[in-house]
This record gives sequence, structure tokens and C-alpha cells, in this order.
Amino acid sequence: MSLQNSTSKFNRWLDVMFRYRKHTGSWAWILHRFTGIGLTLYILVHIIALTGLLKGEAAFNEEMKLFSSPVFLFAEWFLGILVMFHAINGIRIVLVDLGNGARYHKQILVFVYILTVILVAGMGYLIFAHV
Amino acid sequence: MSTNSFKFAGGRNSGAKNWYMQRITGILLVVVLIGHYILMHATPESGHTYKAVMDRLHQPAWKVIDMAFVTLGLWHGLNGLWNVIRDYEMKPIMTTVLYTVLVLIALVFWFIGLNTILSF
Repeated sequence: MSLQNSTSKFNRWLDVMFRYRKHTGSWAWILHRFTGIGLTLYILVHIIALTGLLKGEAAFNEEMKLFSSPVFLFAEWFLGILVMFHAINGIRIVLVDLGNGARYHKQILVFVYILTVILVAGMGYLIFAHV
Repeated sequence: MSTNSFKFAGGRNSGAKNWYMQRITGILLVVVLIGHYILMHATPESGHTYKAVMDRLHQPAWKVIDMAFVTLGLWHGLNGLWNVIRDYEMKPIMTTVLYTVLVLIALVFWFIGLNTILSF
């Protein structure tokens, strides 16, 4: 293939990525993938952060004070977007794969988006109402 | 993907078990996550303090729940990364290296997480 010779493998990948027509489900797939990668990185950070418990009460509470600062609260809220979308869309995937969801996966996706917005808004209230 | 896409179909390495377990662990994680969010975010004053955490970590049932959470989360997350990697065609040695890295990350972080839980 001439295309293979003229451009690098990565450029071809980018080309396909951007030219590929994205339907409703494609966006769900993209969002699910990126939120999943983000959440995996987060759980590693989370496990490290909780080793602070081993350093005793004073050190742990100092660490918690840092995590209660506005920047971290906002990051926590942003994390909530990833968590909520990934969890609810995950239920959609289970319905499609193991249930009868393939017949109405687009309708479920609208429900997923709406529920994510509602839950993230509710989370924002819970996080920032205490500040 | 590659012409070998169906090489493992029906075999032990088809990935079918991982595909199924990704769904099972996902459902379980959603269940534990609901409890986690109610505990940590709906009632922040009871969830975050050192005393509250210690209270829970001294109960065997909470230890089991926490260890399950760490195990399920790590497996689901790293198996997810493995799914991403398998979507791309690369040299077999590269796949082996990346798989080894994922397994090492899993073991190291599983040890760190369980060590924190079991220290109390």
C-alpha cells in the first residue's frame, strides 16, 4: 500500500481516528475508554495517598487538610464526572452485552448522559455545601 | 485488527474469560462504589477523619470489604488497560513487555493497598 509507505504508522492511526465517522455509540466508546484510563491512574494515586494512614493521626489529618483545599475539592468534583459516567455507561454496556440492551442502546445512552449530569450536580452540592 | 484476530477464538487465550470478568467486576464495583460515595461524600465528617477510618479498619468485615474493593478496582482497571493495549497491533515482544508491566503494577499496588488495610 502506498499509504503505508508515505506516512508513519502513528499518522495513519490519527488519520483513521479523525476521519472515522463517529456515531452515538462511538462517542460513548471514546468517553468510556478515556474515563477508564483516567480512573485506573487515579486508583493507583488513591492507594498511595492512603498509605498516609500508616504515619499516624497527626500526619494523616495534615494530609486530609491538603485534600480539603479548594483545588483538591474541585479535582474531586471533576473525578466525579469520570466516575459517574464510567459507572453508569458500564451498566449500559452490561445491558447491551448480557441483556437485551442492543435494541435500545441509544435511548439508554441519553439516560446515561442525563443521569451523569444530575449525579455530578448533586455531588457538587455535597462537596461545596460543606465548605 | 490484524489478520490473526481469530487465531485465539475458542482457545484458552481468546480473552473471553477476561471479557466476562470485566463485566462481573464492573457490576460489583458499582455496588461497592455506591456505598463508598454515600460514606465518603454524603457524610464527609464521618468518612474522612482518622478516627472514623480507624473505627472501620478495626472491624474484620470492613477489612474484607476494603480488600475486595482494592482487588476488584485494580483488576478491573488494569484489565481495562490490557483491553486498550490489545486493540493495537504491535510487535509480540512489545505486547509481552506491556503485559509484564501491567502485572507488576498490579502486584506492587495490591501489596501496598493490602498492607495499609492489614496494618491495623
